[in-house]
Amino acid sequence: MPRWWGRTGIVGVLLIDQVVKRRGSRTVLDRVTFAARPGRVTAFLGPNGAGKSSTLRILLGIDRADQGRALIGGRPYRSLREPLRTVGAMLDGVGAHRSRTAWSHLAWIARTHGIPRRRVREVLEQVGLAGHAGVRVGRYSLGMGQRLGLAAALLGEPEVLVLDEPVNGLDPEGIRWIRRLVRDHADAGGTVLLSSHLIGEVAGVADDLVIIANGRVVRTGTLAEVTAGHGDLEETFFALTGGAPGVGR
Amino acid sequence: MRYGRILAGELHKAATLPAVWGGVAGALLGALAVTLLNSVAARAALENGRAEAWGSTSPFENAYAAMPLTVVGAVVLGVVVISSEYTANRADAGGGRQIATTLTVTPYRIQVLAAKAITVVVGVMVIAPATLLVTVGLARLVIGGGAETVSVTAAVTRCLGGTLYATLTGLIAFAVTVLTRSGILPLLVLIMNSTLVSGSLLLTKLTPLAHWLPDLAGRRLFGGLDTVDGGLAPLPGAIVMSGWTLALLVIAGAVFSRRDA
Repeated sequence: MPRWWGRTGIVGVLLIDQVVKRRGSRTVLDRVTFAARPGRVTAFLGPNGAGKSSTLRILLGIDRADQGRALIGGRPYRSLREPLRTVGAMLDGVGAHRSRTAWSHLAWIARTHGIPRRRVREVLEQVGLAGHAGVRVGRYSLGMGQRLGLAAALLGEPEVLVLDEPVNGLDPEGIRWIRRLVRDHADAGGTVLLSSHLIGEVAGVADDLVIIANGRVVRTGTLAEVTAGHGDLEETFFALTGGAPGVGR
Repeated sequence: MRYGRILAGELHKAATLPAVWGGVAGALLGALAVTLLNSVAARAALENGRAEAWGSTSPFENAYAAMPLTVVGAVVLGVVVISSEYTANRADAGGGRQIATTLTVTPYRIQVLAAKAITVVVGVMVIAPATLLVTVGLARLVIGGGAETVSVTAAVTRCLGGTLYATLTGLIAFAVTVLTRSGILPLLVLIMNSTLVSGSLLLTKLTPLAHWLPDLAGRRLFGGLDTVDGGLAPLPGAIVMSGWTLALLVIAGAVFSRRDA
């Protein structure tokens, strides 16, 4: 049973509030506002380049917002004392140096939080990389890299999971596995925020949707609310993002 | 988070990075090769009764002459400790960089940067004396311990001076790489400057102010390895070089804590 199970409160609420990010003269995020709540899987959908990764990077304190706030349980990420125990994040692909092995990557992360080696073995088992723990990350496939990124996210048994394009490069079996993982996490009371440009892959698992296009949130709500008036999620998505069919594929 | 853990994480990261060991091994092998060449020549000079023709036949001197290679090792360490964070993975493997992980795991930027700097200092302080110890051992083996003319006190002092110089150079390499985010330019410039042609040394021909550049200011920390006359004495030189290092580290810290990763 996860450490945080049964805990209540706002710890797991993610709030993105009026976030603005400019790169040069371009506004990449324009007053982006939404929340992700405990017990729910929130899918953050949009075409490539819509601002999904930029938003998540600001939420995780990697990039700075020009305006607005991004809070985790009411606090900025950078003020969390042991962030991995609250938030597990997967960003920017695998996030390991290519000459490292999966084991050495997870081992240094574990060091920073005083997480025992046993837990490193556990997450490697959990993501199906136990047999490849000694292989250099540079030799990994995209799917294996995603699994290692997930292993790092799960290491601290966090209440919140923030996953950027987690199904990228996974085979159908891997996609099914990750859907089950995030579903179970939310059902156990955890918060899941996952981004994707593949609407079909996350439709089945999402409770709440946030749709972003050109740096602006164009719709938020439950799956039923967002798709109301349109045929299905895919149609809704293209109607809202103005993308031609196939763009989000 | 306890600071010791951030430091432990950074030390662990450096110790498990193949490029760090490559740099250390390269510097050690280079130093051993130079020492061997020097020592064989010194021994030949001794045997021919022409010791004065080969500058010094002291094993320590012949090993110490290879210490600039340890400085190269320090530069490599200083550079890769930070450049490895920004190395992109293969594009078909997602192209991610480790820095995103580092800053989500330990989002306290100044502490992370300080831990990396400490890693460089600890690394060089281990590598430099150890390399000198091994090379002096080799030189004594080849030349023979009886030919030693340098006292233990002088040897220890010069070892400490050389180690300080290597440490400061490693930290300068580190600070510059924080700014460039890529190791290529700092490696090229700093290694060339400390081995092939010293750009700073050439600059002294144009202006005596060049003696205040970090590498030249500190060069008398290497006792007995003077290349050109003039410049700062060891103590003021060390202070000037430390000042440069500190200033560059402060700039690196200010940039690193503010910019998007």
